[in-house]
Amino acid sequence: MTSIQRRDFLKGCCVSAVAAGSGSRAYAYFAPPPLLPATATNDTLVVVFLRGAMDGLSLLPPGAGSPLRTDYEAARTNTRVPVSGTGAALTLNGTTWALHPRATGLRNLYQAGHAAFVVGAGQVQPNPIVRSHFEAQSNLEFGVGGGGNGIGWMTRHLVSGGLPANVPLPAVSMGSITANSLLGSSDAITMNSGSDFRLDTFHWSWQNDDAAHGLVGGVNRMNALWGGNATLLERAGMDTLGSLALLRPIDFNPYDAANHPNGYQPSGGANYNLTYNSGFGSQLRNVAQMIKLNLGLRAVTIDLGNWDTHVGQGNPAQSYDWFGNQVSSLSDGLAAFYTDLSSNPSGNLMQRVNVLVLSEFGRRVLENADSGTDHGYGNVMIALGGAVNGGSVYGNVAGLAGSALYEGTDVAVTTDYRRVISEALIRRMGNPNIYYAFPGYSGYSPLGIFQGTDLPPANFDQIFRNGFETA
Amino acid sequence: MATAAASAAFAAKRRFFGALLASISASPTDPRLSMRRTGRDGLRDDDAPASPDALTFPIPSVRWLSRATCGFTTSDHGAFTALGATDDARWTAWLAQQLDPATIVDSACDSRIASAGFTTLNKTAAQLWAAREAVGDSNYSLRMLPIAETECATLIRRIYSKRQLFEVTAEFWHDHFSVFGWDYDGGPMFPAFDRDAIRPHVFGNFRAMLQATCESASMMYMLDLYSSVAGHPNENYARELLELHTLGAENYAGIVSNPDSFANMNLLGHFTSWDGEEERLKYVDDDVYEAARALSGWTISDSNWWGQIGSAPPGTFAYDDTRHDQSTKHILARYFTPYQGQADGALLFDMLAQHPGTAHFVAGKLCRRFVGDLPSNALVQAAADLFHQQWQAPDQLRQVIELILQSDEFKTTWGTKMKRPATSVVSALRALGADFTPVPDNSTTYTPTEELISRLQAAGQRLFYWPAPNGYPDNQIAWSSTGTLGLTMKLLPRLLEMHQVESYNNAQPFIVDVQGQTLAYFTNAADRTAANIIGYWCDRLLGQRPEPTRTIAVDFFRQEAAATAPLDLTTDNTDGGAQHTGVWHLNPPNTLSQHYTIARLRVAIGLILCSPDFLRR
Repeated sequence: MTSIQRRDFLKGCCVSAVAAGSGSRAYAYFAPPPLLPATATNDTLVVVFLRGAMDGLSLLPPGAGSPLRTDYEAARTNTRVPVSGTGAALTLNGTTWALHPRATGLRNLYQAGHAAFVVGAGQVQPNPIVRSHFEAQSNLEFGVGGGGNGIGWMTRHLVSGGLPANVPLPAVSMGSITANSLLGSSDAITMNSGSDFRLDTFHWSWQNDDAAHGLVGGVNRMNALWGGNATLLERAGMDTLGSLALLRPIDFNPYDAANHPNGYQPSGGANYNLTYNSGFGSQLRNVAQMIKLNLGLRAVTIDLGNWDTHVGQGNPAQSYDWFGNQVSSLSDGLAAFYTDLSSNPSGNLMQRVNVLVLSEFGRRVLENADSGTDHGYGNVMIALGGAVNGGSVYGNVAGLAGSALYEGTDVAVTTDYRRVISEALIRRMGNPNIYYAFPGYSGYSPLGIFQGTDLPPANFDQIFRNGFETA
Repeated sequence: MATAAASAAFAAKRRFFGALLASISASPTDPRLSMRRTGRDGLRDDDAPASPDALTFPIPSVRWLSRATCGFTTSDHGAFTALGATDDARWTAWLAQQLDPATIVDSACDSRIASAGFTTLNKTAAQLWAAREAVGDSNYSLRMLPIAETECATLIRRIYSKRQLFEVTAEFWHDHFSVFGWDYDGGPMFPAFDRDAIRPHVFGNFRAMLQATCESASMMYMLDLYSSVAGHPNENYARELLELHTLGAENYAGIVSNPDSFANMNLLGHFTSWDGEEERLKYVDDDVYEAARALSGWTISDSNWWGQIGSAPPGTFAYDDTRHDQSTKHILARYFTPYQGQADGALLFDMLAQHPGTAHFVAGKLCRRFVGDLPSNALVQAAADLFHQQWQAPDQLRQVIELILQSDEFKTTWGTKMKRPATSVVSALRALGADFTPVPDNSTTYTPTEELISRLQAAGQRLFYWPAPNGYPDNQIAWSSTGTLGLTMKLLPRLLEMHQVESYNNAQPFIVDVQGQTLAYFTNAADRTAANIIGYWCDRLLGQRPEPTRTIAVDFFRQEAAATAPLDLTTDNTDGGAQHTGVWHLNPPNTLSQHYTIARLRVAIGLILCSPDFLRR
């Protein structure tokens, strides 16, 4: 009975996308399907979502030699990243794009060939494009080109991704509330802070079990409370208690000889203490710790907010540089993450960890009268990892003025965000089922950002997963 | 809805897993705990219905009070019962009182707020502004004291006010017009937002609330309206005004060129508005830009480099005609004549307040707040129709709330929602009879206020702390994630252990005195049995004694003793009782029933608080 319901659900999910107009997919859906891909790897994909529409033109401005520099300077005065003097952008090998001066960590990774940028990236939805943060984030994360049915793209990737039968912790959504990309997933634990995520507040005398005295404590007793009825709430409670039990033996606090001898010590001197957005640093540290624990972590989503710079964006040539503060959080955090995992004593883990950074849309080319920027369209994505063909800028921005701009105001989108994620799914995760992860998407071809083997893209069909099922 | 067989199978599966969890000595690689294991393929099980028939419902009065207050209490219930001969009659009388909050004497709550010694809450907007300017960057906690005090005062009111429906509804409107309270510029102005923009209109008129929130400094900063001027209108407020405050994303048609053409008007829908003008039903991006132009020059006096606007005191609303875009506008296909000045914005608010799309969007949210995550279209439409018809009535919102709360759907459903963390905390403190007055603190002492706020933030719903203008989500999917539910389960038992003044200081009284309340109710020692005591606390916290929660709590509390055997709740440790535990008694033969019984009572009550019955609405 369960199977039929999932079947019907999946049919609904894919049929609606098919109806949106990719005719060839309609036939592919019913074609004889593959079983779960044998190509599946145990790489980890970490998606960093910059919430609030990050200004890609300030993170990666045209550099001194760029043909776009003149138009950039015409459009950006109070938010300008200069190419000389105080706050000058950092040059990058092999490209006329430059990097915000406070992204020194990212620059080092780029120059070392571990980071790549994609310009002119974004959502190519069926008409209309949306300029609402919430709707754009939701569209991106549900990944069906608009709307959605409560199932995230990352969930569908995990369902179709050929996971082994038993994986302790396949996915984590860092935050209090599950990100939409992992919504509907039974593989994911949602938590805001590893060290907080434990039950330890009953009175000490009756909290934990004391087997020697036959004492069963409060934490243990809670499990039985949640089995009585078949409701959404009870199911959530069971999942929660199971997640808490799974992570309980781990000490997520930083190492401290006195109080946390089993705490976490980053490798290579990595420093996760960020001046701004300190929670982001802690969460990256938690993720690195979980990766090192060999829990089978394959998919992570983590947020960094505060990018919605309508007013007072600042610039690096002056002391007020709000946007630069955000950049430093992103850059320093990712640099620490990279250092930590690549310096891992038993082997460079960044060889199999892949980070993608994206935002729901970019910001308008012409700055506004409040020394800020408004909602735009095309943006920058970042790929980071040991298996990234880094030190390059992928994609294309034809121009920053006139007809080169979308609607005459915004950076155009020339690379579909799904193309970038799909390449990670295929070449790194070994999951060819990108048309299942992104219903309605078609015409994939790799950009060449990631190392790895190409697979023919497919649309996973769960009905036939275990062979034909009877009703 | 799943069939009875599926429900039973589901429940059996869960009981098995529960027993499994209980027996595991967990290690991170124990395969029985893996998130992906046999029988789990990555998709959340869709078998479980939202609210199955098999669920034991509390009696109607308990359900209604649970949903219409910040948390059920037996004293509320006692007062309720005295209001009439039947539940329906009592409910109508209760609603009549609650919807007229000025007639409810609230002296206990008022005294508690007075005792807190707040200094900023009665300051006018101008005074708050002046205080903020005086502090500048020199003292962060002093600068932010107004939001800190508003946070505490709101908690006090939700826990102690007799005007419970008012507080529940005020929370709704704070979510709807969500402002991040700790914004560096807007936070110091927050008491004015709460007191002048939201609260006066909770049971009043939506059009009035809409304009009042717009004109409030906190909202002006949240959405950048204060700096929106002719030639460079800032579209942030206009976009959220349409998308979040009035028409809603459900009425958004995106970027459509030539939206007012005959073809597009038919495509997007149109209606005849109150003054005979034909308006579009759905809004497009151009409407956002035009609305931004209509509101240009709406600002806060002295919030920009050009200083005070006319005679408007700094910090208060001012309309600056010199910075208003006077040209013609077209919003929702309505033509705005030029040179109308401030009337442009007023007309915009009129349009939005009486737009049927607004009525449907807001009514839908209200139904989702009070009735369930998936209210019926019929109820939403009925509420929307009333909202729309009464758009100029001074008691419009009172009428709409009354309709929803008198509906069959409100009265007969249960378990269609769950408590969000802030509600869990407040309802726990109410039902536990807490004596707790949150106040901001700047000392090195770790106060119970600080601990409570910190844990509530960890659970994901600290008051006025949602960073985006769309407000905290209001559905079970969001709040049943492992992160938020887990941190709620961590927070609730801790309420029983927190102390006054200094949260971890055993020498201080508890904020909740369960021992005292239990002994006061069971004056006869022979009555202090596990069955009686747990029954009593189930009544206090849940208004019912549902299984398996009751039996689990009884079995835990009684240990090896019989459920009818009296337990010792008075003998305490030789340290003068400072530990509030009872007596250590782990000596064999097994007498766990005598071991730290006082602490065990608190844990047992904590278990009840962590049950699905407590978290259900």
